[in-house]
Amino acid sequence: MRKVAIVGQKQINAADVGKSRERMLFELCRDFYKEMGITRHDIDTFVLCSNDFYSGHTISNVFEDCPVGAYMKDETKVEADGVMAATYAFIRILSGLYDTAVVVASSQGGSVMRPYLQMDYSLNPTYDRQVDLLNEVNAAALQARAYMDEFGVSEEVLDKIAARNLRNAARNPYAFNGKTDVTPADVANSDVLYEPIKAMHCYPFTDGACVLLLAAEDRAKELTDAPVWIKGVGDLLETYYPERDVSRSKSVKSSAERAYKMAGISDPASELDLVEVSAKFSYQEPIICEALGLFPEGSAGDVADRGLADMDSAMPVSPSGGALGAYAFCAGGLVRIAECYRQLTGGAGDTQVADAHTALAHGQDGLFLQHNAVMVVSTEEG
Amino acid sequence: MTFEMGPETRQVEAMWDVSTYNYRMDGTGIRLLTEGMKEKKLRGIRCGECGMVYMPGPSYCRKCFVDIDEVVEVKDTGTVMSYCVTMADVRGNPIEEFRISAMIQFDGADTWFVGTVTGVEWQDFKVGMRVKAVWVDEPAGSLSDIDRFEVITD
Ligand SMILES: [Zn+2]
Repeated sequence: MRKVAIVGQKQINAADVGKSRERMLFELCRDFYKEMGITRHDIDTFVLCSNDFYSGHTISNVFEDCPVGAYMKDETKVEADGVMAATYAFIRILSGLYDTAVVVASSQGGSVMRPYLQMDYSLNPTYDRQVDLLNEVNAAALQARAYMDEFGVSEEVLDKIAARNLRNAARNPYAFNGKTDVTPADVANSDVLYEPIKAMHCYPFTDGACVLLLAAEDRAKELTDAPVWIKGVGDLLETYYPERDVSRSKSVKSSAERAYKMAGISDPASELDLVEVSAKFSYQEPIICEALGLFPEGSAGDVADRGLADMDSAMPVSPSGGALGAYAFCAGGLVRIAECYRQLTGGAGDTQVADAHTALAHGQDGLFLQHNAVMVVSTEEG
Repeated sequence: MTFEMGPETRQVEAMWDVSTYNYRMDGTGIRLLTEGMKEKKLRGIRCGECGMVYMPGPSYCRKCFVDIDEVVEVKDTGTVMSYCVTMADVRGNPIEEFRISAMIQFDGADTWFVGTVTGVEWQDFKVGMRVKAVWVDEPAGSLSDIDRFEVITD
């Protein structure tokens, strides 16, 4: 199998980026290619990642090709999360047809549309939309309660998880929702949306875009002295709620097992130096991390009390602040990979984890953590 | 209880009224165009690399992938690049009188503009014909300041 590496990243996240999506993408990619010392003609394939709902028109990539430099170039789109798009770009390079690929994911949920409303339209129109009792946040509340009840986890634990992520985000220049010195009590005092979900448990509405450059081995080594190799991937979809126990995530577990097998990882908790997960609501973080095999099932209280997921712990979880710091649909998961890249190349600044060589990025799409994908990346070429 | 099992398809009516979007667009090129239109002038933006004149202009060349900001004057005369005889509005509702919708390349621009041409029988209308914009009497600085096009007959 070919070896494929991530050789660069660039991202922008804001509550309101103050630009059209076209201009946001053009400026991001223009500056990125300049920093990488390439032109658009050095890119063999472009994988875009966006969503018709979030863009407000069908074929959302139709106005993205030109601003990312894909005019008259090989281009395709993934209408899901950025980790899935990066996986697709990885596979395209593995095919041998392409040596370089750019992945660009974006949306403007901060300024152009209201994300919660859009999410309702992913519900089954002939059943759930008829019943008219579910939306993104109360779906989160139902799943949170199921997890808390199953494992005896208190609301204070969700507050602690949120506070850690918000504090981490305050140290990350790419996150805008960080809160220095925020306490679990501050989180507990934020508005209740659908009990037990409070405002500060939730991802912030975000305008954002992220771009990654992937390259096959020879090109990767020409483009950078510090490639970050893609070692394993997994991407699985399950039903969104009726046929499963929502207190756990089988699709995270199985996608991680696939990725670990591919990467030769047998003990993820000791072999991974950090993870970046797309927990859009604080309760999702333990469900994801437990399914990744990093902590025992139902251990959220213990992890929070002992700081086992802190930036300076043995198993740092989302040192960037994760989805609570910024979360643009589609870009959210790609940003997690970009953050792993920053960590493994020693460029993570105030969020840097010491001696980070191997990391995992997680992305999700849908309600109730329905669709999950993971990517294991490493500085070890192997 | 007896219940007849087997595949069954139902029709379910539900609205697909997604939301109101606050779309954003690049403002410079459209402002350049519409402000000029107040004085019955057309202005586009030229790419310094390939020479392409866009009207209305984006802020970067879609082909060359560089920022562009060179303002150029464009004439209000042009050439018909294609046309169709329109018998219904864009929703498919029949209209009372046939209308000619043409794609027009203004002299001095490289992009095409869709407009209505009047004063000519559709049987006589051809690709390649020269047309001139007919302005409204009191332009207000909007795209509808060009009311229609007429064929140049000299
Ligand atoms: Zn050009």
